[in-house]
Amino acid sequence: MPTPTTSTPFAMPIVPRRQSWVEPLLGLLTGALGGMLQSGALQAQVANCILLGGVFGLVFGLFFAKRAATPGAGLIWGLGSAFLLWFLLPDGVHPLLTLSMASAHMLSDAQEHFPQLVAYLVCLGMPVGIVLGIRGGFLLKEDYPRFRWGRAIVAGGLAGTISGLAFSGWEYAGGFLPLLQGLPEFHTDRSAVILHFLVALLIGAIFGILFQRDVRGYGSSMGWGVGFGIFWWFFGPLTVFPLIGRVPIDWSADQGAVLFGSLVGHIIYGFILGTIYAFLDRIWIRLLIQSDPLNREPEGLGLHFLRSIQWGAFAGFIGGLVSSPVMLATGTFPKIAGVNTNLLGLRGLVLHLIVSTLIGMTYGLLFRNEAPSFGLGIPWGFLFGLIWWYVGPLTLLPLTMTGAFDWRASAASELLPSLIGHLIYGGSTAVVFQVLERHYKRWLLLDPRIASRELRRVRPVGTPAPALWFFAIGLGVLLPILLG
Amino acid sequence: MKRFRRSALIGVIAGAAASTPLILALGHSFSSMALGMLVGAGYAFSVRRTPQAYVDNLMTAGALGVPLWGLISVVALPLLSGQKPEWGAEQMRAHLPSLVSWVMFGTLLGIFNQGLGDLVEWIVGPQSEDLPRNSPEKSRIVILGGGFAGMKTAECLEQQLRTSGSAQIILVSETNALLFTPMLAEVAGSTLEPSHISTPLRSSLRRTEFIRGRVTAVDLENRRVHLAGQTSGSPSEQLEVAYDHLVLALGSVSNYLGMDNVQRLAFNFKSLLDAIRIRNHVIEMFERADRERDASLRAALLTFVVAGGGFAGVELAGALNDFARGILADYPTLSAGELNIVLVHSRDRILPELSESLARYAQEKMEDRGVTFRLNARLNDAQPGVVVLSDGEIRAHTLVWTAGTAPNPLVKELPFEKDKRGAVKVDSALAVPGQSGVWALGDCASVTDAKNGKACPPTAQFAIREAKIVARNIATCLQGRPATNFHFDSLGALCVIGHQTACAELSVPFLRTRSMRFSGLLAWLLWRGIYLAKLPGMERKIRVLMDWTVELFFPRDVVQTIDLQ
Repeated sequence: MPTPTTSTPFAMPIVPRRQSWVEPLLGLLTGALGGMLQSGALQAQVANCILLGGVFGLVFGLFFAKRAATPGAGLIWGLGSAFLLWFLLPDGVHPLLTLSMASAHMLSDAQEHFPQLVAYLVCLGMPVGIVLGIRGGFLLKEDYPRFRWGRAIVAGGLAGTISGLAFSGWEYAGGFLPLLQGLPEFHTDRSAVILHFLVALLIGAIFGILFQRDVRGYGSSMGWGVGFGIFWWFFGPLTVFPLIGRVPIDWSADQGAVLFGSLVGHIIYGFILGTIYAFLDRIWIRLLIQSDPLNREPEGLGLHFLRSIQWGAFAGFIGGLVSSPVMLATGTFPKIAGVNTNLLGLRGLVLHLIVSTLIGMTYGLLFRNEAPSFGLGIPWGFLFGLIWWYVGPLTLLPLTMTGAFDWRASAASELLPSLIGHLIYGGSTAVVFQVLERHYKRWLLLDPRIASRELRRVRPVGTPAPALWFFAIGLGVLLPILLG
Repeated sequence: MKRFRRSALIGVIAGAAASTPLILALGHSFSSMALGMLVGAGYAFSVRRTPQAYVDNLMTAGALGVPLWGLISVVALPLLSGQKPEWGAEQMRAHLPSLVSWVMFGTLLGIFNQGLGDLVEWIVGPQSEDLPRNSPEKSRIVILGGGFAGMKTAECLEQQLRTSGSAQIILVSETNALLFTPMLAEVAGSTLEPSHISTPLRSSLRRTEFIRGRVTAVDLENRRVHLAGQTSGSPSEQLEVAYDHLVLALGSVSNYLGMDNVQRLAFNFKSLLDAIRIRNHVIEMFERADRERDASLRAALLTFVVAGGGFAGVELAGALNDFARGILADYPTLSAGELNIVLVHSRDRILPELSESLARYAQEKMEDRGVTFRLNARLNDAQPGVVVLSDGEIRAHTLVWTAGTAPNPLVKELPFEKDKRGAVKVDSALAVPGQSGVWALGDCASVTDAKNGKACPPTAQFAIREAKIVARNIATCLQGRPATNFHFDSLGALCVIGHQTACAELSVPFLRTRSMRFSGLLAWLLWRGIYLAKLPGMERKIRVLMDWTVELFFPRDVVQTIDLQ
């Protein structure tokens, strides 16, 4: 009898065994090439940059290539690794070795090293990850879901455009189109709007091409969307757009702070894009793939959906309760986007709990069946809490209360105290949801027939989720601190 | 537990080894290391192990380092040292070194935890999983019957026993689906598709083993149930199912009161197949009448007699009347005057379960719609083409019997005390007296309310409540706790009598001696709403709702789906 014990957290998709020298060599060459580009952008010594890029690519090819099973997975692993490299090299190992960890200058050091962060991500992480991901995609086994260009471009492009539409209405009123930040001024509003939608379409289509094989649930797709949004901010407004406008690339922390509003926009855009893409992709799968009796899920629509909402509501309520002391202490309830409201005391708490419960329901819907253990569920929860910090206090709350929002780095800096509360909310919501989901599954798995059915249903979890968590949670928290 | 100990130990060691960055950033070597060990244990405990997953653990634990920095360095440590949390923007910036150290700690923890786990696994062997396993010695609970009583008992037992592996639930039924009998008349009347009112038992029950089979005998001494063979039914093919607890939920069958001709010629109205047969037979009669030139024979073909004026008979007569008159449009040679739906009932009024005013209303409404009533008339015999009543004869080729039921014949074979109906007498906890571990409920049991001492009617409403008590009592019995007595006040009754018309008599909450009576469209809407809600399964609900919607706009189907010959 098959039991779900084989459903290990990082079990799939691992590229099958192959000649071990190809990936390191590919990584080495791509990394060295990226290092060369990096030296141009940073105006650093070419040899050093090529050496660093080559070593990065070699290490990635040796240790991470097995995880880079698709271009999207490769990109996320590449970005995660490049971010780790930045964390360790300029800001981690060096101060550690010189025993200057507590140095008050660390912040300014980190801000000074911001150009390296951009360079590592754009010149090393992205190319090495994508190249090895493309190779991984060619080596995938036959039984792995087939890549479909039509589905990727149609669903991705549509999701990108819808996200751009949802995103542009209230932003365009303020003349602020975050996806186009970094590009030169436009002569007419119409050309700006058209370009906004073209960029949204492009991002969506690329998202579909990169992540089609990795998107299996709403939550993870939302995660890929956020990660991709953050990456696109580094790639577009900070790198490619200035080049298009024939302006020298400026990777300084100051320029990052200037474009911080665009970063928030990209994170929210990615959040919407990932969720809509998953929705469209699900519809595609439901109508064209799972409608085939051979591919049917044993449990139809409805049952799990309602249960997930119930569990999510309860988990969100508990998460709201757990995070309320922090929210109260940091004065988050009565102060929204720097504007004092009358949501004091009990009224504020009640509103907080209601909103927490509603957001918890979305957690239940998005993250059901995403994590088989607490260790994998909690990071999703933290990421969810982080996203809601960008979506809630930075965007939706000020928009609904005052009709305007402030995405400047200084505004984000002012809201930093509530970030901890949001992380606590996300983490505790995830824990409670995981408890409820596990309890239900334990009940199901008691019967051997159900166990085998569940085994067929539970998807393999081995995705680039760990790299995404590191990249998105790390940068999502670090950037407001660094650039604020 | 063993798995947790091993994981926690590995995590503690990995946490201690990875705590160097924490010591450098936070100071206080011992407490920083202790903190690292604590976090390490929590991490190892919460992540299910996968061999060789170094990069995954490195990234996961590194990512967790960020929120841990917020929770511990920014909030918890200042609080522990008697200060306010340092979550102001500038204070958080000042904590940047500890953020870096937490991330480095996380990455090291992930690698060390994985490495140590792999090492231990290589030396000691893989760790056992703690997933629920079926314990070798289980109590076997065998439920006989897959109707409302049996299915609900299984469902409630699954709820009661939850993750306990101490019991095995087995349900034996002659059909593999639960028939939702309140909607059976609509199948006969061609409003609903037959399979839409049946719920498959296999997919509805989570951890109950389902056996489709016919019970031939129960060996009370050896505690075994004997099932008929799959093909020939020879004794060698018989299957035995052992039990510790036996639940008799066998339901009832039609009781023809010894009238063999009626049994031979009349349609039964208990199963899905019966409803399908009736529908197809009605269409067959129309087809034959369409080409019949003899007027008296045509009238006999178009006369449909329903025996029994209870809920089943009245609902069926109403549905057949609507169906037959509705399809007349497809048979232009036949006229409404030739059509005759007759309801025969032995008492002076129909629907004895409802109050007299509602019964009169139902009769008047049905008469307005073309149903003929023969009250105070008994069905005495049936011959081909003739139905013999106590007060005369009716020339008809269709007779449906709904006038009497009796407990499943198997019950007669069992050496239990029974009531005059032949149902098994049970005590207030629904256990069969003098038989340890044997329970009975539903139509095959004679149940007395423990609170008011009244006999409970053999209806689905009561069967479902009895099932809950039986399941609870079996669960408490397994745990050695006292049983609960059965008590239930009827919620009322609803009966559809024709197109968008129904009668309802509902108990007033908290005033069970009083009831609300209403009829017409509101009662019909209530009927549909309540029974749609009670129909098991979302998918079935959607299908029935779609059938009802289609029926609003399109005529009923006259396609014959089975060959009655």
